[in-house]
Amino acid sequence: MPRWSRFRRLFGREPKADVDAELAFHLEMRTGELIDEGVPAERARALALRRFGDYDSPRQQCVAISERRERRMARIEYLTELRQDVVYAWRMLRRTPGFTLVALTTLALGIGANSAIFSVVQAVLLAPLPYRDAPRLYRVTTLYPDGTPYSLSPPDFMSVREQTRAFDQVEAFSGGVYTMLGAGEPREVRGIGVSDRLFDLLGLQPALGRGLLPGDNQPGHDGVAVLDYGFWQRQFGGDHHVLGRTVRIAGTPVEIVGVLARGARMLDAADVYTPLLYNDTFSAATAKGRRGEFLTVIGRARQGMALAEVDNDLRRIGSQLQSAFRATNDTLTFNATSLTDVVVGDVRRPLLLLLGAVGFVLLVACANVANLLLARASARQTELAVRSALGAGRVRLLRQLLTEAVVLGTAGAVLGLAIAFAATRALLAAQPADIPRVEDVTVNGAVVIFTFAIAIATSLGFGILPAFQFTGAGMQSALRETTRGATSVGGQRMRSALVVVEIALAVVLLTGAGLLVRSLIQLTRVDPGFRTEQALSFRVVLQGEKYKADEPTRIRVSEFEQRLRALPGVTNVGATSVLPLSGRGAMVGFAVEGAPPPPPNVNAEIALASTTPDYLRAIGATLMLGRQFSGADDTAAPRVAIVNEAAVRRWFAGENPIGRRINTNGVSREVVGVVADVLQRSAAEPVAPMVFVPFAQRTIRSLRMVVRTSADPSTLTSAIRAEIRALDAELAVADITPMGQLVARSLRRPRFYTSLLTVFAGVGLVLATIGVFGVMNYAVTQRGREISIRLALGALPGDVLRMIVSRALVLSAIGVSVGLGAAIALGRFIQGQLFGIALLDPVTFSAVPLVLAASAAFASFVPARRATKLDPANALREG
Amino acid sequence: MAPPTPDILRGTLDLLILKALSWGPAHGYAVARWIQQATDDALAVGEGSLYPALHRLEEREWITATWGPSENNRQAKYYALTRRGRARLKIEADNWRRYATAIFAALDAPALQE
Repeated sequence: MPRWSRFRRLFGREPKADVDAELAFHLEMRTGELIDEGVPAERARALALRRFGDYDSPRQQCVAISERRERRMARIEYLTELRQDVVYAWRMLRRTPGFTLVALTTLALGIGANSAIFSVVQAVLLAPLPYRDAPRLYRVTTLYPDGTPYSLSPPDFMSVREQTRAFDQVEAFSGGVYTMLGAGEPREVRGIGVSDRLFDLLGLQPALGRGLLPGDNQPGHDGVAVLDYGFWQRQFGGDHHVLGRTVRIAGTPVEIVGVLARGARMLDAADVYTPLLYNDTFSAATAKGRRGEFLTVIGRARQGMALAEVDNDLRRIGSQLQSAFRATNDTLTFNATSLTDVVVGDVRRPLLLLLGAVGFVLLVACANVANLLLARASARQTELAVRSALGAGRVRLLRQLLTEAVVLGTAGAVLGLAIAFAATRALLAAQPADIPRVEDVTVNGAVVIFTFAIAIATSLGFGILPAFQFTGAGMQSALRETTRGATSVGGQRMRSALVVVEIALAVVLLTGAGLLVRSLIQLTRVDPGFRTEQALSFRVVLQGEKYKADEPTRIRVSEFEQRLRALPGVTNVGATSVLPLSGRGAMVGFAVEGAPPPPPNVNAEIALASTTPDYLRAIGATLMLGRQFSGADDTAAPRVAIVNEAAVRRWFAGENPIGRRINTNGVSREVVGVVADVLQRSAAEPVAPMVFVPFAQRTIRSLRMVVRTSADPSTLTSAIRAEIRALDAELAVADITPMGQLVARSLRRPRFYTSLLTVFAGVGLVLATIGVFGVMNYAVTQRGREISIRLALGALPGDVLRMIVSRALVLSAIGVSVGLGAAIALGRFIQGQLFGIALLDPVTFSAVPLVLAASAAFASFVPARRATKLDPANALREG
Repeated sequence: MAPPTPDILRGTLDLLILKALSWGPAHGYAVARWIQQATDDALAVGEGSLYPALHRLEEREWITATWGPSENNRQAKYYALTRRGRARLKIEADNWRRYATAIFAALDAPALQE
């Protein structure tokens, strides 16, 4: 667009009038000419019109074209001005590098933290699960009368599948750990057995070969396997000739028929998929196996079905089964949970809490930058007044100031994105907590859009107050007052209010962080019930023909124990079916013999572990009463059991149970010992009743072994592998873990949330402190003359110091009270993450105000010192 | 409604306007007069169609418009060729010449020889 056309609008007319004038001129000229030729006036006019032809249509066309041009020109003009503003803003920012550095750092931190947390929230909570029709997928669970959810048994799965009206497809799978032979070293693999059309339900496609098909589940045809893409890459180097190869999984030969597509995976990662073998329990008609629950069942709801309808339908099926199979299904029913909740349900609240926290950090940053902008008021006011005097309208100046804010915000967003990128990369590398789907976290398009959206919102947030302040009533007087650089009292008040808001926000953040830190300390103080130091655990699974019978299995396990015990420094060796802090293990039916049967709505089950005689000593658990197992508690001996204290409280009313008889899954046992509670899932979850039985009397093949030493146990790793291999070269030793790590692992999530919130609170505190410093420093500058007069009149430096610091303390006191109120109001969002302390934790609630008061005093001390050094003579000079 | 532009002018009005302005700025009426004389009054009925064409050319920035005093001291809208308009005129004129030459050659050509 040529330069002149921008001014043309100033002199040009409205398009309609313009066109009318032009056409009228034409008609007039033509009429005039005809008259000159001698045509009578009235006839000349008519002739001119006739020559012109149609009038309205050309006129409308001309008006339409002109208006289009006007609009385009206005747009171009707007963009030109915007470019000017941006260039100007950029120049202003470069001219004040100190201000720009502080403002940009503040914004980059605030925005970057938000982008980083949002990219986690986006990938973990917002992105749909990578399955076909993911929002319609539900997990079905068996529901016991006391509300405990369980997996489904094969017959119950088949019953649900046949009788459902809510689902259009129901599938199942079951996971396990198996040893794989025939592909290099013996290896433990995570296997998943899948029902006939599970891959079809989830939309999982093969990258190579085929998926698992309905025919594969039939007995005799189930010797096939499909590999996970990542496992194929790791274990087989991505070799295409893997198809048709036979490997042995859990002792059974299977042919590899396919590889799943990259990224195709089940809820939990797996290495190998095999068909579930449909034996005679996979029938809706049978009563057999109804209480052997091991299937994770997933159904796809019909289009438009709500969760409540799905639940109703499952309850209907439940009550039908209750009457059809009274012996096994009495009191049981089913319910559904959306699959998304199954995957991310327990991280949703903490992640949203963190997102809220970074939002607060951004607000603090926003208030801080607003304050910085206000502080530039005196410097800018002259310039703006001059521009205004030169004819720039208020709207134009407002726009320019907001453009400056947006330029600042956009630059902050770019830096923030860099921070978010680095932070998410670090998160992926460190994997600080077992957060589901965290491997999908990236700074993607959605994150970029989010970042720029919050940057613009933030810019308007911190830009609008100063902009109105600048261009408002103070403007006219600014030219006159520049020599004093005075701003209105309103400006000072606004700056103080902003600092109060900053302090309040920092208080909320600090209170949250304080509560989480206190909870984490409480968690680490929980006695795990075992000794964590100088012990190692590892896993070994005895699979294959050799271990089909119990006797060789028992012999092999005692050989392991003898061999390992002979290693230097080893004091105890034991084996168990389940380690502390690794779950509750098998759940078995339970009854105390001679006691009245519990009411039907009580889940009469107990966690059970098979352990070798030395196991409880090896983990360092405390025996409270009775005795440990011994070698004499073998298959031939009477059945015995050791119970934990939780079981004593729950089933024996806290009385001494030694000598009493209990029944586990139909086996009658004598209680010979009581062991102190050992943590099962996490320190935050109460220990459930548990019973330990001798390994010899209940032989299992998936073992966790514990080796306790008198020295550092990590030096034994290779010796342990060698000993196990010496006995059976086909066994895989997996998961060698110091016992201490079990505790650390169970604290990973709370530690992760706590450290993040603490970092955010720290940033909030630093920003608020900078805010207090800025306001007090500015106040000293503004009131320099007044302070000089006071000093000239004999005020002591101490008085001045006290005056400034106490003003900062008053601000912080207001901020703290507002903040504590807000923290209490927001308490319910953090309640679920607390452990061992009350929401109104006195330690936190007294420490936070002290921290804030200290930081306010600290922040105001430097400007206060400066004030005491002012020269009293200033008072005279500037009079 | 009858088409405001005689068929012969369809597509060539732009060219005529550009040509009319090639001797210097002129208002719409002057352009109309020039076309009247130069084309043996091809626009006889429908001078009005000249104006949308002028505005379209202005929108394409082949011509520019300014208001100024006319010969009888009235305000008139004067159009002038831009640099791009001048270049356009050359292209359009060349096209027309090629086209006309081809048609004339065809009209004078003998019957097809077997």
